[in-house]
Amino acid sequence: MPGIYIMAVITMLASAVFWGGMVHLFSGRTGRYLWLIMLGLPLSVVVNLGLKPALALWAGQITNVPPGQGFSKLPWWFLFFLVMLTPVLEELIKVTPLLLPRARRRIQDRAAAFWVGIMLGVSFGLGEAAFVAYAAAQIPDYASLPWYVLTGYAGERFMMCLWHGIMTCVFVMGLQRRGGWRVVGYLAAISLHALGNAAPVLAGLGFIPAWVTSLWITGIFILAAFLFERLRRQVGRESGITQSAGEIVYFARADVPKQP
Amino acid sequence: MERANQIEKTIRIFKPRSSYGWTWLIAIALLSLITLAPTIQSAEKIQPPVLLLTAGLAGAVFIGGFALAFWFPTMRYELDEQTLTLRYGPVLNYRIPLSQIRNIRRRDLSLTIWSSIRFPGIALFTVPYSDVGNVKMCATAAMKGILLVETDKAKFGITPADEEGLVTAIQARIVE
Repeated sequence: MPGIYIMAVITMLASAVFWGGMVHLFSGRTGRYLWLIMLGLPLSVVVNLGLKPALALWAGQITNVPPGQGFSKLPWWFLFFLVMLTPVLEELIKVTPLLLPRARRRIQDRAAAFWVGIMLGVSFGLGEAAFVAYAAAQIPDYASLPWYVLTGYAGERFMMCLWHGIMTCVFVMGLQRRGGWRVVGYLAAISLHALGNAAPVLAGLGFIPAWVTSLWITGIFILAAFLFERLRRQVGRESGITQSAGEIVYFARADVPKQP
Repeated sequence: MERANQIEKTIRIFKPRSSYGWTWLIAIALLSLITLAPTIQSAEKIQPPVLLLTAGLAGAVFIGGFALAFWFPTMRYELDEQTLTLRYGPVLNYRIPLSQIRNIRRRDLSLTIWSSIRFPGIALFTVPYSDVGNVKMCATAAMKGILLVETDKAKFGITPADEEGLVTAIQARIVE
């Protein structure tokens, strides 16, 4: 068995426990969002093995672009289409679990939309970790590596879970606001996804060296953490989650001179 | 000598609540060791700056984790006539002049996603919280039942075992 499968199991378990635990802690320990982590697991495989190749092939047929060409030989507009196919399809499929009435009922307010989006995105990220492991295992150079040297894969997939969570929560929060916000949320999620994919795509096309990708992903993770905190504070203020209910004031005085 | 004895008499030592926070520090140290092993194993294939950075970071976490776990039993709060001092080994020494304390309250805190030295059962150095901002922690809990000591300049988080005893002693000294 390729070593990457062992690392994939470790990564998925660690990511599920960590991000699921964070959502549980930060959302008021209600546990009402945890089950959502199951719903997005198969979606990465569906979109990457089913929808994306089929749509790319179909688009190639109607525009007379033959399949199997290298990126460098593709017309720029078709290349752009292929690059944007991933964000457009993935951001859409990540919210399909909301077609289930039980999942949709969870979105009662903005705070709930935030946590539902985070969980659905993390769930998709976990499934994607499995898909990436499967794809890498088809490459002999990767398949022969022992599992314990694949810490780069583990770190990247762990970070990507949060990034997927942020993108999905932006869309779900748009859905919760209804009206034109649904389109705004979707476009914002697509834009964030395209931003995250920019360095890997440019490296794949040979425009930038491969090592920039690792730096980029770290930067994206920091951006994800920043957005997570900002949005969480915003929805927390609205729902009152961050207030400490059982505070005991032992001692307080107003006569302390202000320090220079 | 007499003066030293007198000072010693006036210093009261308060221990923190017990916790297993030290196990997290050891776990983190071991985790960094696991990441260090493949780096060293494939050192020939990695560029020297990258190798140095990876090994340096993992090594620092490994040593730091074990050192902090080793000093865990030294966590204490010292109260003299003028100052409350929070100590943790030789690496943490926060001095809070009693005259600058504005309020003392016990509350649960809400974490942020930003990295800091805080795990279940331990929180050290500056930890960002989403509800009260940055808090200088020297505590055996990260979120639950934190005694927040607020001055004009900073907030400090502690978890004394004898919470009421410490607060009463501080109040008595401030009144004097």
